Amino acid sequence: MKVIAVHPDRCTGCRTCELYCATERGSNSKNLLQAATEEPLPKARVRVEGGGSLSFPLQCRHCRQAPCIDACLAGALVRDEESGLVVIREGLCIGCWTCTLFCPYGVIFPWPERKIALKCDRCLYMERPVCVDVCPTRALEVVDMADYDQFLQGKGSQVATGLAYAGPGLLLLDLQHPA
Amino acid sequence: MSDRADTVIVGGGVAGFQAAMTLRRLWPEKTVTLLDKEEETGYYRTLLPQFINGTLPENKLFFPPSADDRHLRILTAVRVESIDREKRTLRLSGRGDLHYQRLLIACGGRPLVPQPFVGADCAGIFPVRSLTAARMARQWLTSHPEVVVLGGGLVGVKTAAHLAGFGYTVTLIERDDTLLPLALSAAAAGLVADHLRQKKIRLLLGRTVDDLHSTAGAISAVQVGGDWLPCQTLMVATGSLPDLAWLHDSGLLSEGRLEVAPTLQTADPHIFAAGDAVTIVDSARYTPWTWPQAVVQGALAGENCHAAVPRSLRRYSRVNTMNLNGLSLAILGLPVPGAARAVYAPAGAGIYRELFHQDGTIVGGALVGDISLGGRFHQLMATGLAGERDLESLLVPRKGVWSPQAAVFVRNVRRARILPQGVER
Ligand SMILES: Cc1cc2nc3c(=O)[nH]c(=O)nc-3n(C[C@H](O)[C@H](O)[C@H](O)COP(=O)(O)OP(=O)(O)OC[C@H]3O[C@@H](n4cnc5c(N)ncnc54)[C@H](O)[C@@H]3O)c2cc1C
Ligand code: SF4
Ligand code: SF4
Repeated sequence: MKVIAVHPDRCTGCRTCELYCATERGSNSKNLLQAATEEPLPKARVRVEGGGSLSFPLQCRHCRQAPCIDACLAGALVRDEESGLVVIREGLCIGCWTCTLFCPYGVIFPWPERKIALKCDRCLYMERPVCVDVCPTRALEVVDMADYDQFLQGKGSQVATGLAYAGPGLLLLDLQHPA
Repeated sequence: MSDRADTVIVGGGVAGFQAAMTLRRLWPEKTVTLLDKEEETGYYRTLLPQFINGTLPENKLFFPPSADDRHLRILTAVRVESIDREKRTLRLSGRGDLHYQRLLIACGGRPLVPQPFVGADCAGIFPVRSLTAARMARQWLTSHPEVVVLGGGLVGVKTAAHLAGFGYTVTLIERDDTLLPLALSAAAAGLVADHLRQKKIRLLLGRTVDDLHSTAGAISAVQVGGDWLPCQTLMVATGSLPDLAWLHDSGLLSEGRLEVAPTLQTADPHIFAAGDAVTIVDSARYTPWTWPQAVVQGALAGENCHAAVPRSLRRYSRVNTMNLNGLSLAILGLPVPGAARAVYAPAGAGIYRELFHQDGTIVGGALVGDISLGGRFHQLMATGLAGERDLESLLVPRKGVWSPQAAVFVRNVRRARILPQGVER
């Protein structure tokens, strides 16, 4: 299973990923400048967390036991068998927002204007995720879960230390603070 | 029909179905029989208001069909009337007895119908709970648009919000002085009331229905205080209670409650239970009667039925979220006496976000009008990890990334970063 991994040490908090995610995946025009004038405003499926000394983009983790799937009132959230990713079938979503309250990372977003919930599907049907493509510092990367442990080695302590000092704007809850 | 099954599930709501799917996945050789007293089963009960108002097409109401499975038998229109625990049999309406090795009770709740309507022999009165009643209501409403919704709790508010704006005149009657009295603080409820009034719903708070009037066998008016109110359709949403009459002399009930351990085991080791039917006894008594809980509990009870070592439920959260015809609302929990309060409520914005916290733990709160970051607050509440965080500033919703300048700015950033110095694109 392939997921998007993040190098927090490279992220500068510029929110380019958010802008392009919203443009490519949420706008009609698919053009940055025009998208900014669309009604409703396009919405991103990734959110840059933190600020100040540490920031990083956060998007769906495709949890193994995904609380959002259990929470969905309409059967709109499912696991895509082939890719293993958690995807939303927009045609079934009734915009009740229950899933948004059950994602512990807060990365399913209500989109009231369109009455659907919005989440990252790793741009499943595109060649590469938009955010990965556009990040100016290459802070995002597509990795195979099998290689993920390796990827985390060496990053782990950095991430944990970063989080400990990141201040109150940051709430990444799956990582333990260093002792 | 054979008269036995390895596991019998009473109730084909979402808890029962989750249990059935889990049992079939984990123990492919064991047979499962699922029983429901309704004619139709396997549907999204939560979508009934959208079905009643005619906006939800029928095909979206039912769970997606699963592959044929000869080890899973689903019997509808069969009511379980009683249980004999010694013989491990259930008495079924009109079908004789059914023997179980393990029993899973997922019989959910039944609507509470208040006094004046009990046994009222007139058409046009519909409790909001079952598909059978919802079908009748949907049909009836097409020619009876003057609606009274009784009960300003979650189901009542949702039903009223989904009927208003679809050609019905809607009056919502709530006994308490505020809406959602079991879920929201008065301030948060006030915003919900404002929104419903904007949707042209007439709210009668602190009132109840004392009597009803019928004309030609159908309801025509209800009496509220001294006044008579025209009413062609009455939607009853005054709450529900576990539907446990059939367990009356089973010895499983304690003061009328079906109590289970966090493993969802009842006092009888062969019997498990899940969903709206149960009261969970841990350090306190919990009745987390919500859809996500019914899903999680159904799956866990199914797993524990035949497991050597049963697992415990991890959370009893009652969090509830809804979209009331344009107003987003997330309920984390009622104010706790003595708890501190963090609020974000800009004047006139239609937004009210509050959290109650005690000793570094979020203990309740609600997000009205803007529910962003709700998942995080729920997680913080569940893990007790709010700690020293500045909740006031966390409650301030973050602005979107868009502004015309943002695009230009980003283009410059990209150039500066990606291109080697001195190269022009
Ligand atoms: C209109 C409405 C809106 C809702 N909206 C929300 C929401 O937005 N969010 C949320 O979290 N929750 C919501 N809920 C609550 C949620 O639907 C329930 O918590 C959930 O459906 C409970 O599932 P369950 O399987 O435990 O019970 P149920 O769904 O009640 O199923 C129990 C089944 O058992 C059957 N049964 C009972 N007794 C017997 C018997 N003796 N023999 C045979 N069969 C029997 C019943 O016919 C029923 O089909 C809503 C409920 C309603 C009615
Ligand atoms: S949306 Fe949230 S809960 Fe659902 S899979 Fe992604 S990270 Fe997990
Ligand atoms: S908002 Fe959509 S995806 Fe989320 S729980 Fe409701 S129906 Fe399911």
